[in-house]
Amino acid sequence: MSMFRSKKLDIGSFLNIHVIRDHTKRKVYAQFEPERQALRHIIRNTTLPARTRAEAQLQLTQMHCYTRPTQIRGRCLMGGKGRGIFRDFKLSRYNFRMQALEGNLPGVRKASW
Amino acid sequence: MSRSSILQPLRQTLTRPVARQPRSAFIASASRSKASIAKPNQTTPASVRSDETLTVPFPMSLSPLLENHTSDICERHEVHPEEPAIRLPRSVQSLYLQPLRREANYGVPTCDLQLRSYSVPNLEFFCDFALRAAYYLNLPAFGPVPLPKIKERWTVPKSHFIFKKSQENFERITRRRLIQIRDGHPESVQIWLAFLQKHAYYGIGMKANVWEYSKLGVGKEMEGQGQAMQDVIEDKMKLLGRDKTEGTVQKVQELLESERFRIQG
Repeated sequence: MSMFRSKKLDIGSFLNIHVIRDHTKRKVYAQFEPERQALRHIIRNTTLPARTRAEAQLQLTQMHCYTRPTQIRGRCLMGGKGRGIFRDFKLSRYNFRMQALEGNLPGVRKASW
Repeated sequence: MSRSSILQPLRQTLTRPVARQPRSAFIASASRSKASIAKPNQTTPASVRSDETLTVPFPMSLSPLLENHTSDICERHEVHPEEPAIRLPRSVQSLYLQPLRREANYGVPTCDLQLRSYSVPNLEFFCDFALRAAYYLNLPAFGPVPLPKIKERWTVPKSHFIFKKSQENFERITRRRLIQIRDGHPESVQIWLAFLQKHAYYGIGMKANVWEYSKLGVGKEMEGQGQAMQDVIEDKMKLLGRDKTEGTVQKVQELLESERFRIQG
Protein backbone atom coordinates (compact mmCIF):
# COMPACT_ATOMS: atom_id res chain seq x y z
CA MET A 1 0.00 0.00 0.00
CA SER A 2 1.27 3.40 -0.89
CA MET A 3 0.76 4.79 2.60
CA PHE A 4 3.54 2.55 3.88
CA ARG A 5 5.82 3.13 0.93
CA SER A 6 8.78 5.39 1.58
CA LYS A 7 8.78 8.71 -0.18
CA LYS A 8 12.33 8.30 -1.39
CA LEU A 9 13.68 5.18 -3.04
CA ASP A 10 15.55 3.15 -0.45
CA ILE A 11 16.70 0.03 -2.23
CA GLY A 12 19.46 -0.49 -4.72
CA SER A 13 18.64 -3.78 -6.41
CA PHE A 14 16.76 -4.47 -9.62
CA LEU A 15 13.60 -2.39 -9.53
CA ASN A 16 10.04 -2.95 -10.45
CA ILE A 17 6.79 -2.47 -8.57
CA HIS A 18 6.83 -6.01 -7.17
CA VAL A 19 10.26 -5.52 -5.69
CA ILE A 20 9.30 -2.19 -4.13
CA ARG A 21 6.10 -3.70 -2.75
CA ASP A 22 7.90 -6.62 -1.22
CA HIS A 23 10.49 -4.33 0.30
CA THR A 24 7.73 -2.19 1.83
CA LYS A 25 6.06 -5.26 3.29
CA ARG A 26 9.30 -6.32 4.92
CA LYS A 27 9.77 -2.94 6.54
CA VAL A 28 6.17 -2.77 7.75
CA TYR A 29 6.38 -6.27 9.19
CA ALA A 30 9.55 -5.37 11.06
CA GLN A 31 7.95 -2.22 12.39
CA PHE A 32 4.79 -3.91 13.69
CA GLU A 33 6.32 -7.16 14.87
CA PRO A 34 6.32 -6.32 18.60
CA GLU A 35 2.67 -5.40 18.43
CA ARG A 36 1.73 -8.59 16.61
CA GLN A 37 3.68 -10.70 19.06
CA ALA A 38 2.13 -8.89 22.02
CA LEU A 39 -1.37 -9.53 20.73
CA ARG A 40 -0.55 -13.15 20.02
CA HIS A 41 0.76 -13.47 23.55
CA ILE A 42 -2.40 -12.00 25.03
CA ILE A 43 -4.56 -14.32 22.92
CA ARG A 44 -2.72 -17.42 24.07
CA ASN A 45 -2.35 -16.43 27.70
CA THR A 46 -5.05 -18.41 29.52
CA THR A 47 -4.60 -16.52 32.77
CA LEU A 48 -6.06 -13.38 31.22
CA PRO A 49 -9.83 -12.80 31.18
CA ALA A 50 -11.67 -14.14 28.16
CA ARG A 51 -12.90 -10.70 27.11
CA THR A 52 -9.39 -9.31 27.00
CA ARG A 53 -8.28 -12.19 24.86
CA ALA A 54 -11.24 -11.75 22.53
CA GLU A 55 -10.41 -8.08 22.22
CA ALA A 56 -6.82 -8.96 21.33
CA GLN A 57 -8.09 -11.36 18.69
CA LEU A 58 -10.16 -8.60 17.18
CA GLN A 59 -7.27 -6.21 17.15
CA LEU A 60 -5.00 -8.76 15.57
CA THR A 61 -7.41 -9.46 12.73
CA GLN A 62 -7.89 -5.76 12.19
CA MET A 63 -4.21 -5.14 11.61
CA HIS A 64 -3.12 -4.32 8.11
CA CYS A 65 -2.23 -7.24 5.89
CA TYR A 66 1.23 -5.73 5.25
CA THR A 67 2.10 -6.46 8.89
CA ARG A 68 1.82 -10.22 8.31
CA PRO A 69 4.99 -12.23 7.78
CA THR A 70 3.23 -14.42 5.21
CA GLN A 71 3.09 -11.48 2.82
CA ILE A 72 6.86 -11.52 2.45
CA ARG A 73 8.18 -13.38 -0.54
CA GLY A 74 11.71 -13.97 -1.74
CA ARG A 75 12.45 -12.00 -4.88
CA CYS A 76 15.32 -12.19 -7.30
CA LEU A 77 17.88 -9.48 -6.65
CA MET A 78 18.78 -9.14 -10.31
CA GLY A 79 15.51 -9.78 -12.08
CA GLY A 80 12.74 -9.21 -9.55
CA LYS A 81 11.21 -12.57 -10.26
CA GLY A 82 9.06 -14.07 -7.52
CA ARG A 83 9.33 -17.75 -8.31
CA GLY A 84 12.15 -20.23 -8.46
CA ILE A 85 14.44 -18.28 -6.14
CA PHE A 86 17.43 -19.94 -4.52
CA ARG A 87 17.53 -18.85 -0.90
CA ASP A 88 21.28 -19.32 -0.76
CA PHE A 89 21.84 -16.63 -3.36
CA LYS A 90 18.54 -14.71 -3.50
CA LEU A 91 18.61 -15.18 -7.25
CA SER A 92 16.21 -16.76 -9.69
CA ARG A 93 17.36 -19.87 -11.48
CA TYR A 94 18.23 -18.03 -14.68
CA ASN A 95 20.20 -15.27 -12.99
CA PHE A 96 21.87 -17.81 -10.75
CA ARG A 97 23.07 -19.69 -13.82
CA MET A 98 24.34 -16.52 -15.48
CA GLN A 99 26.22 -15.41 -12.38
CA ALA A 100 27.62 -18.86 -11.72
CA LEU A 101 28.94 -19.18 -15.26
CA GLU A 102 30.52 -15.76 -15.01
CA GLY A 103 32.17 -16.82 -11.77
CA ASN A 104 30.57 -14.15 -9.61
CA LEU A 105 29.40 -16.60 -6.95
CA PRO A 106 32.34 -17.68 -4.77
CA GLY A 107 33.01 -21.38 -4.90
CA VAL A 108 30.21 -22.23 -7.33
CA ARG A 109 31.37 -24.07 -10.39
CA LYS A 110 29.99 -26.45 -12.94
CA ALA A 111 29.60 -29.88 -11.46
CA SER A 112 30.23 -33.22 -13.07
CA TRP A 113 30.34 -36.46 -11.22
CA MET B 1 54.29 -7.99 -2.42
CA SER B 2 53.18 -11.56 -2.10
CA ARG B 3 55.09 -14.22 -0.31
CA SER B 4 55.81 -16.20 -3.44
CA SER B 5 57.28 -13.26 -5.30
CA ILE B 6 59.65 -12.54 -2.45
CA LEU B 7 60.71 -16.11 -2.10
CA GLN B 8 60.98 -17.00 -5.77
CA PRO B 9 64.70 -16.26 -6.12
CA LEU B 10 65.40 -17.75 -2.74
CA ARG B 11 63.60 -20.90 -3.64
CA GLN B 12 65.69 -21.25 -6.73
CA THR B 13 68.92 -20.95 -4.85
CA LEU B 14 67.74 -23.49 -2.37
CA THR B 15 66.33 -26.06 -4.71
CA ARG B 16 69.04 -26.03 -7.30
CA PRO B 17 71.76 -27.75 -5.30
CA VAL B 18 69.30 -30.06 -3.65
CA ALA B 19 67.20 -32.58 -5.51
CA ARG B 20 64.34 -30.84 -7.26
CA GLN B 21 61.14 -31.39 -5.44
CA PRO B 22 57.70 -31.05 -7.00
CA ARG B 23 55.90 -28.11 -5.51
CA SER B 24 52.91 -30.17 -4.52
CA ALA B 25 55.07 -32.26 -2.24
CA PHE B 26 55.36 -29.33 0.11
CA ILE B 27 51.65 -28.94 0.32
CA ALA B 28 51.10 -32.63 0.73
CA SER B 29 53.64 -32.84 3.47
CA ALA B 30 51.99 -30.00 5.32
CA SER B 31 48.79 -31.95 5.65
CA ARG B 32 50.40 -35.08 6.96
CA SER B 33 49.59 -36.13 10.47
CA LYS B 34 51.69 -35.57 13.51
CA ALA B 35 53.22 -39.01 13.63
CA SER B 36 55.15 -38.64 10.42
CA ILE B 37 56.24 -35.10 11.16
CA ALA B 38 57.44 -35.45 14.68
CA LYS B 39 61.06 -36.35 13.86
CA PRO B 40 62.78 -33.79 11.68
CA ASN B 41 66.15 -35.44 12.22
CA GLN B 42 65.30 -38.67 10.43
CA THR B 43 67.75 -38.10 7.63
CA THR B 44 71.20 -38.67 8.92
CA PRO B 45 73.63 -36.15 7.54
CA ALA B 46 76.37 -38.77 7.58
CA SER B 47 74.68 -40.92 4.98
CA VAL B 48 74.18 -37.95 2.70
CA ARG B 49 77.81 -37.12 2.97
CA SER B 50 79.01 -40.59 2.15
CA ASP B 51 77.38 -41.06 -1.23
CA GLU B 52 77.92 -37.45 -2.34
CA THR B 53 74.87 -37.46 -4.56
CA LEU B 54 72.38 -34.67 -4.83
CA THR B 55 69.45 -36.71 -3.63
CA VAL B 56 68.48 -35.39 -0.26
CA PRO B 57 65.27 -36.80 1.11
CA PHE B 58 62.87 -33.94 1.47
CA PRO B 59 62.09 -33.56 5.15
CA MET B 60 65.53 -32.06 5.40
CA SER B 61 67.18 -32.08 8.74
CA LEU B 62 67.64 -28.84 10.56
CA SER B 63 71.07 -29.82 11.71
CA PRO B 64 73.85 -27.42 10.83
CA LEU B 65 75.82 -30.25 9.22
CA LEU B 66 73.46 -30.48 6.32
CA GLU B 67 73.36 -26.73 6.00
CA ASN B 68 77.09 -26.66 5.51
CA HIS B 69 76.85 -29.55 3.15
CA THR B 70 74.37 -27.76 0.88
CA SER B 71 76.48 -24.67 0.72
CA ASP B 72 79.49 -26.86 -0.04
CA ILE B 73 77.73 -28.26 -3.04
CA CYS B 74 76.89 -24.78 -4.17
CA GLU B 75 80.48 -23.76 -4.15
CA ARG B 76 81.80 -26.92 -5.73
CA HIS B 77 79.43 -27.16 -8.65
CA GLU B 78 79.23 -23.45 -9.33
CA VAL B 79 76.16 -23.78 -11.44
CA HIS B 80 75.54 -20.05 -11.19
CA PRO B 81 78.62 -18.31 -9.96
CA GLU B 82 76.84 -14.96 -9.74
CA GLU B 83 74.54 -16.31 -7.05
CA PRO B 84 76.13 -16.03 -3.64
CA ALA B 85 76.33 -19.26 -1.68
CA ILE B 86 75.04 -17.80 1.51
CA ARG B 87 73.14 -19.87 3.97
CA LEU B 88 69.55 -18.76 4.23
CA PRO B 89 68.47 -17.41 7.59
CA ARG B 90 66.93 -20.11 9.71
CA SER B 91 63.62 -18.36 9.80
CA VAL B 92 63.47 -18.22 6.03
CA GLN B 93 64.66 -21.76 5.51
CA SER B 94 62.08 -23.06 7.93
CA LEU B 95 59.43 -21.91 5.47
CA TYR B 96 60.56 -24.68 3.14
CA LEU B 97 60.23 -27.29 5.80
CA GLN B 98 57.25 -28.70 7.54
CA PRO B 99 56.01 -26.59 10.42
CA LEU B 100 57.64 -27.44 13.71
CA ARG B 101 55.50 -28.76 16.51
CA ARG B 102 55.57 -28.74 20.26
CA GLU B 103 55.16 -31.92 22.23
CA ALA B 104 52.02 -32.27 24.29
CA ASN B 105 52.66 -33.65 27.75
CA TYR B 106 49.14 -34.45 28.83
CA GLY B 107 47.09 -34.34 25.64
CA VAL B 108 44.19 -32.38 27.10
CA PRO B 109 42.39 -30.64 24.25
CA THR B 110 41.95 -26.92 24.84
CA CYS B 111 40.98 -25.53 21.46
CA ASP B 112 39.49 -26.87 18.25
CA LEU B 113 39.90 -24.55 15.30
CA GLN B 114 37.95 -25.32 12.18
CA LEU B 115 38.96 -23.64 8.94
CA ARG B 116 36.67 -23.60 5.95
CA SER B 117 37.22 -22.51 2.40
CA TYR B 118 36.19 -23.20 -1.16
CA SER B 119 39.77 -23.33 -2.38
CA VAL B 120 42.32 -25.88 -1.27
CA PRO B 121 45.60 -23.93 -1.76
CA ASN B 122 44.43 -21.04 0.38
CA LEU B 123 43.25 -23.40 3.04
CA GLU B 124 46.49 -25.40 3.09
CA PHE B 125 48.52 -22.23 3.21
CA PHE B 126 46.60 -20.83 6.11
CA CYS B 127 46.72 -24.12 8.01
CA ASP B 128 50.47 -24.04 7.62
CA PHE B 129 50.52 -20.48 8.90
CA ALA B 130 48.36 -21.40 11.89
CA LEU B 131 50.62 -24.31 12.79
CA ARG B 132 53.72 -22.14 12.65
CA ALA B 133 52.05 -19.48 14.77
CA ALA B 134 51.12 -22.15 17.29
CA TYR B 135 54.71 -23.37 17.44
CA TYR B 136 56.08 -19.94 18.21
CA LEU B 137 53.41 -19.42 20.85
CA ASN B 138 54.53 -22.64 22.51
CA LEU B 139 51.25 -24.40 21.79
CA PRO B 140 51.20 -28.10 20.88
CA ALA B 141 49.09 -28.20 17.72
CA PHE B 142 47.70 -31.28 16.01
CA GLY B 143 46.43 -31.47 12.50
CA PRO B 144 45.37 -30.27 10.08
CA VAL B 145 42.78 -33.02 10.05
CA PRO B 146 40.79 -32.99 6.80
CA LEU B 147 37.11 -33.10 7.75
CA PRO B 148 34.43 -34.28 5.32
CA LYS B 149 33.73 -31.91 2.45
CA ILE B 150 30.39 -30.14 2.34
CA LYS B 151 28.95 -30.49 -1.14
CA GLU B 152 26.05 -28.36 -2.19
CA ARG B 153 24.56 -28.98 -5.61
CA TRP B 154 22.03 -27.10 -7.68
CA THR B 155 20.41 -28.16 -10.92
CA VAL B 156 18.85 -25.53 -13.15
CA PRO B 157 17.20 -25.74 -16.57
CA LYS B 158 19.45 -24.25 -19.19
CA SER B 159 16.72 -22.24 -20.85
CA HIS B 160 12.96 -21.81 -20.80
CA PHE B 161 10.51 -23.76 -18.74
CA ILE B 162 9.50 -26.16 -21.50
CA PHE B 163 13.06 -27.30 -22.19
CA LYS B 164 13.34 -29.20 -18.96
CA LYS B 165 15.37 -31.92 -20.66
CA SER B 166 18.56 -29.91 -20.86
CA GLN B 167 19.73 -28.89 -17.43
CA GLU B 168 22.97 -27.80 -15.88
CA ASN B 169 24.54 -28.79 -12.58
CA PHE B 170 26.44 -26.48 -10.30
CA GLU B 171 28.17 -27.30 -7.10
CA ARG B 172 29.98 -25.62 -4.26
CA ILE B 173 32.39 -27.69 -2.23
CA THR B 174 33.44 -26.42 1.16
CA ARG B 175 36.71 -27.87 2.36
CA ARG B 176 37.31 -28.07 6.08
CA ARG B 177 40.37 -28.56 8.22
CA LEU B 178 40.62 -29.03 11.93
CA ILE B 179 43.55 -27.91 14.05
CA GLN B 180 43.54 -28.97 17.65
CA ILE B 181 45.54 -27.38 20.41
CA ARG B 182 46.32 -29.58 23.39
CA ASP B 183 47.67 -28.49 26.76
CA GLY B 184 47.50 -24.86 25.73
CA HIS B 185 47.45 -22.11 28.28
CA PRO B 186 44.08 -20.36 27.84
CA GLU B 187 45.75 -17.01 27.49
CA SER B 188 48.14 -18.08 24.76
CA VAL B 189 45.29 -19.85 22.99
CA GLN B 190 43.45 -16.54 22.99
CA ILE B 191 46.53 -14.80 21.65
CA TRP B 192 46.86 -17.42 18.94
CA LEU B 193 43.24 -17.01 17.88
CA ALA B 194 43.53 -13.23 17.91
CA PHE B 195 46.70 -13.44 15.82
CA LEU B 196 44.98 -15.65 13.26
CA GLN B 197 42.03 -13.29 13.19
CA LYS B 198 44.30 -10.32 12.69
CA HIS B 199 46.08 -11.99 9.78
CA ALA B 200 42.92 -13.56 8.41
CA TYR B 201 43.40 -14.79 4.86
CA TYR B 202 40.90 -14.08 2.13
CA GLY B 203 38.23 -16.67 1.49
CA ILE B 204 38.77 -18.56 4.72
CA GLY B 205 36.29 -18.88 7.53
CA MET B 206 37.35 -19.77 11.03
CA LYS B 207 35.46 -21.19 13.95
CA ALA B 208 36.94 -22.15 17.29
CA ASN B 209 35.74 -24.16 20.25
CA VAL B 210 37.71 -23.34 23.37
CA TRP B 211 37.76 -25.33 26.59
CA GLU B 212 39.10 -24.10 29.87
CA TYR B 213 39.64 -25.73 33.22
CA SER B 214 39.22 -23.65 36.32
CA LYS B 215 38.48 -23.82 40.02
CA LEU B 216 35.11 -24.40 41.63
CA GLY B 217 32.79 -21.41 41.75
CA VAL B 218 33.30 -20.42 38.15
CA GLY B 219 29.75 -19.14 37.87
CA LYS B 220 30.22 -16.36 40.39
CA GLU B 221 33.49 -15.34 38.84
CA MET B 222 31.96 -15.18 35.37
CA GLU B 223 29.02 -13.17 36.65
CA GLY B 224 31.44 -10.62 38.02
CA GLN B 225 33.25 -10.52 34.69
CA GLY B 226 29.96 -10.35 32.81
CA GLN B 227 29.21 -6.88 34.09
CA ALA B 228 32.57 -5.61 32.95
CA MET B 229 32.38 -7.38 29.60
CA GLN B 230 28.93 -6.05 28.79
CA ASP B 231 30.16 -3.12 26.72
CA VAL B 232 32.58 -5.24 24.71
CA ILE B 233 29.89 -7.81 24.00
CA GLU B 234 27.40 -5.15 23.00
CA ASP B 235 29.87 -3.76 20.49
CA LYS B 236 30.36 -7.19 18.96
CA MET B 237 26.69 -8.02 18.91
CA LYS B 238 25.91 -4.84 17.04
CA LEU B 239 27.88 -6.21 14.13
CA LEU B 240 25.81 -9.37 14.12
CA GLY B 241 22.60 -7.57 13.28
CA ARG B 242 21.03 -8.03 16.68
CA ASP B 243 21.17 -4.41 17.69
CA LYS B 244 17.42 -4.11 18.09
CA THR B 245 15.68 -5.68 21.04
CA GLU B 246 12.16 -6.74 20.45
CA GLY B 247 9.84 -4.79 22.70
CA THR B 248 7.16 -7.46 23.00
CA VAL B 249 7.00 -7.41 26.79
CA GLN B 250 6.63 -3.64 26.99
CA LYS B 251 4.08 -3.81 24.20
CA VAL B 252 1.94 -6.35 26.10
CA GLN B 253 1.90 -4.11 29.13
CA GLU B 254 1.10 -1.09 27.02
CA LEU B 255 -1.78 -2.89 25.32
CA LEU B 256 -3.29 -4.18 28.56
CA GLU B 257 -3.22 -0.68 30.00
CA SER B 258 -4.68 0.87 26.90
CA GLU B 259 -8.17 2.37 26.72
CA ARG B 260 -9.74 -0.44 24.70
CA PHE B 261 -8.59 -3.21 27.00
CA ARG B 262 -9.46 -1.34 30.20
CA ILE B 263 -13.02 -0.80 29.13
CA GLN B 264 -13.24 -4.52 28.42
CA GLY B 265 -11.77 -5.49 31.78
